[in-house]
Amino acid sequence: MAAEAASGATLRRVGFGGITGSRGAFFACCGLLVVLLAVPSLHNGYIENLFRGVLMFATLSLGWNVIGGYTGYVSFGNVVFFGLGTYTTAMLWDKLHQQNIAIAIVTAMAVAAIFALVLGVPILRLRGHYFGIATLGIALATQEIIANIDWLGGGSGVTIRQIDNFSLYYYAMWAVCTASFLATFLIARSKLGYAFVAIRENEEAATILGVDPTRYKVLAWMISGMMAAAAGAVFAGANGFIDAPTAFATDDNVFPIVMAILGGVGTIAGPLVGALVLTAINETLWSHFPEIHTLFFGAVIVLVVLFLPRGILWLFKLRGGWRGFIASLKVYRV
Amino acid sequence: MSGFLVVENVGMRFGGLQALADVSFTVERGAVVGLIGPNGSGKTTLMNILSGVYKPTAGRVRFAGKTIADVATHDVCKLGIARTFQIVKPFANLNVRENVAVGAMYGRAGGSRSTAGALDRAQELLEIVGLARVADRPASDLTIPDRKRLEVAKALALDPDVLLLDEVMAGLNASEVDEALDLLRALTARGVTLIVVEHLMKAIMSISTAVIVLAEGKKIAEGAPHEVVSSPAVIEAYLGSRFAARQAQLAEFAREASEALRVEPHAPAS
Amino acid sequence: MELFFQDLVNGILAGGIFAVIALGFSLVWGIMNIINLAHGAFVMLGAYIAYVLFSAFHLDPFISIPIAFVLMFGFGYAVQRYVINFVVRAPMLTTFLLTFGLALLIVNVVLVIFHGDIKGITTSYSGANFTLGPVTVPWAKFLTLIAALAITVLMQLFMTRTKTGRAIRATSMDIGAAQLAGVRVAHIYAIVFGLGAGLAGAAGVLVSMSYSLQPSMGDPFIIKAFVVCVLGGLGSVEGALIGGLVYGILESFGSQWIGTGLQDAVALVVLLIVLVVRPRGIMGKATA
Repeated sequence: MAAEAASGATLRRVGFGGITGSRGAFFACCGLLVVLLAVPSLHNGYIENLFRGVLMFATLSLGWNVIGGYTGYVSFGNVVFFGLGTYTTAMLWDKLHQQNIAIAIVTAMAVAAIFALVLGVPILRLRGHYFGIATLGIALATQEIIANIDWLGGGSGVTIRQIDNFSLYYYAMWAVCTASFLATFLIARSKLGYAFVAIRENEEAATILGVDPTRYKVLAWMISGMMAAAAGAVFAGANGFIDAPTAFATDDNVFPIVMAILGGVGTIAGPLVGALVLTAINETLWSHFPEIHTLFFGAVIVLVVLFLPRGILWLFKLRGGWRGFIASLKVYRV
Repeated sequence: MSGFLVVENVGMRFGGLQALADVSFTVERGAVVGLIGPNGSGKTTLMNILSGVYKPTAGRVRFAGKTIADVATHDVCKLGIARTFQIVKPFANLNVRENVAVGAMYGRAGGSRSTAGALDRAQELLEIVGLARVADRPASDLTIPDRKRLEVAKALALDPDVLLLDEVMAGLNASEVDEALDLLRALTARGVTLIVVEHLMKAIMSISTAVIVLAEGKKIAEGAPHEVVSSPAVIEAYLGSRFAARQAQLAEFAREASEALRVEPHAPAS
Repeated sequence: MELFFQDLVNGILAGGIFAVIALGFSLVWGIMNIINLAHGAFVMLGAYIAYVLFSAFHLDPFISIPIAFVLMFGFGYAVQRYVINFVVRAPMLTTFLLTFGLALLIVNVVLVIFHGDIKGITTSYSGANFTLGPVTVPWAKFLTLIAALAITVLMQLFMTRTKTGRAIRATSMDIGAAQLAGVRVAHIYAIVFGLGAGLAGAAGVLVSMSYSLQPSMGDPFIIKAFVVCVLGGLGSVEGALIGGLVYGILESFGSQWIGTGLQDAVALVVLLIVLVVRPRGIMGKATA
């Protein structure tokens, strides 16, 4: 009994269990990130682009996970932050001839934070479907508005001169992804993580227990926005060109959500795992069925949602074999 | 003169419905106040006002030098008031200890506690309510009586001076009720003032120091438990006016009969 | 001043279509609590059905309306019964993504079959107008409005006067009680979704008469349908109609003053104002 209490206490101090998730998954992801550092040394442009994409989507997914997974406010428009990040880089180059990636990232994060703060207070009072569609509307409206402002490049977009050491973009994206991953971990094991999860589980009870819902929801959205914007800031430089449809692409909106689901919503490792798996699927589909790969992608989304709503990692925890799996599918039926 | 917790002329109107009207009473520190009344009498509305979830449309509640309605709902616990909910919905995806820890992190003393400190405090509280054995289980696994205990523990994590208990014994069997009563007595012994909404008369009678009766949104009786329970107004509210009238008649007969049967002792001759 | 009336009339004419689109969307949302992100794709399918019937059989689009309705009803019924039913009571995210994935599938299938080039339906009366004082009213749009109103009235009659309609309303109020009363909920849900799809298909035919066709044409309609539902109040036929007309007018004036490229921005501003000021919409009932 004492030994149990002692090991329980140790686990609690280290911060695993509960909302932090399993130790194994965390360290596996750390290992994965370390391995990914080696990619540029392969000197293969295709592979570097591919994994830079994985890191970018993992960041977007980690960001979405903070507001959608941990706090339970499902945003269907987080791409707006990504887009704002891309335009930050674009404007820094276009107006100020500033190419420094770090400056771009920090500025983009500031823009995203302000945007989330200003819009978050009214928008986060909405629940469920209303919040989801409101965020979608914000993303679409922002895209439209930016496309109509000539000073921002209007319909023709903005070209960004790329830095000479192209692999720096990869390392920057890696840094952004790793920082987001570690931030998620620190949040999950801190009091902040508990506030987010409490809001998700029962917002009224959380309020009575002293959690200011508006403050923490806005904070969650700000954090998720800053992660997405940082990823966007790096992407713009790597892409060399930004226009409204590129900045606010639907793929960048929906993929991160599907990745989070695939890996496991509300976990630390989920987004990373999901990003890896989904990118692998996407690449396979692209190379074998270039014309109809979007069609297959739609099918993948449908299948993931129907059969893996709680993610791959949850499959490992499932008891009862096949019958348990089938039973779990029937839970939401009528 | 300020009482510990003062309810002054509180009224609550929802559109056309007057849920509470002109309710006033004072709660003394350390008391156990039973709040009873038929269904729909406004007990839960009053609880919501006392805990800051609703702002009253008339009157006010004063506690710790502040008017509760002036304080944001999430800050009310910092004044020292905590509550349980009638329909218990714990944080399902957290374990029992973490459920309690949330209050320990964000309640009155929360600012000075770290995550580990809050989890330790939660463990202490689980010992008090008797849930230490299930501390690591997901809250969704708990039985109904254990969920009720969890509700109490979560509220205690706020280090409250006043604990509002909303039908915490609903759905418990006889021995579980006794255990719950023991827990409440332990809380009183620790200096927590209790306001208890209950339908279970046995529970109210055995632990209350004062009882307040609501009916149709108004306070119809206040006082010591045995007085209140035999008051005609209360009987009428619960059991109807015909029954109350019969009870009054029976009481009258009993009085006359006992007078008639009283035999004056003759003074002894001498 | 004439411009004002022209904008007003244009808005009303467009509003009729929005109302029918929103009606189907509102039905599924109000009764099954599902936001169907594939609704726009259903509208697009209706438009393409009209196109196929027009180019192959020279069938006037107005005749295609009931045909599209029936075809899309069947399609919607099957999709709900055999796909969406699995997650009909799941958290919102699941149904959001599922319908999104379905939309992706449908749009891409159409893309493969018809390719992305823009198509259109030109009937004998396509360019014909009549004038009402200072205002020019295109015949096609006017008849569209009439058809939209007719569809709305028929739906209202169906919901209030038929046994199935009442079963649907019972299910939306209390699914448990409805089951106890003998309502086969899975079947009712499939009917509701089918109706939503049928209405979308009918609306698609109406759209095809005034707008050009391409596989992605349905996308903008989702946000508009949402705004109309919020504006008009969820769960009522009158709400969808009034919301649609009001929204049509707002969009018409909005694009006059702000420019046509910003329609989504207009929609969003309207949405946010309504959600903040009067969340239940113009005709909605206040919920607990």
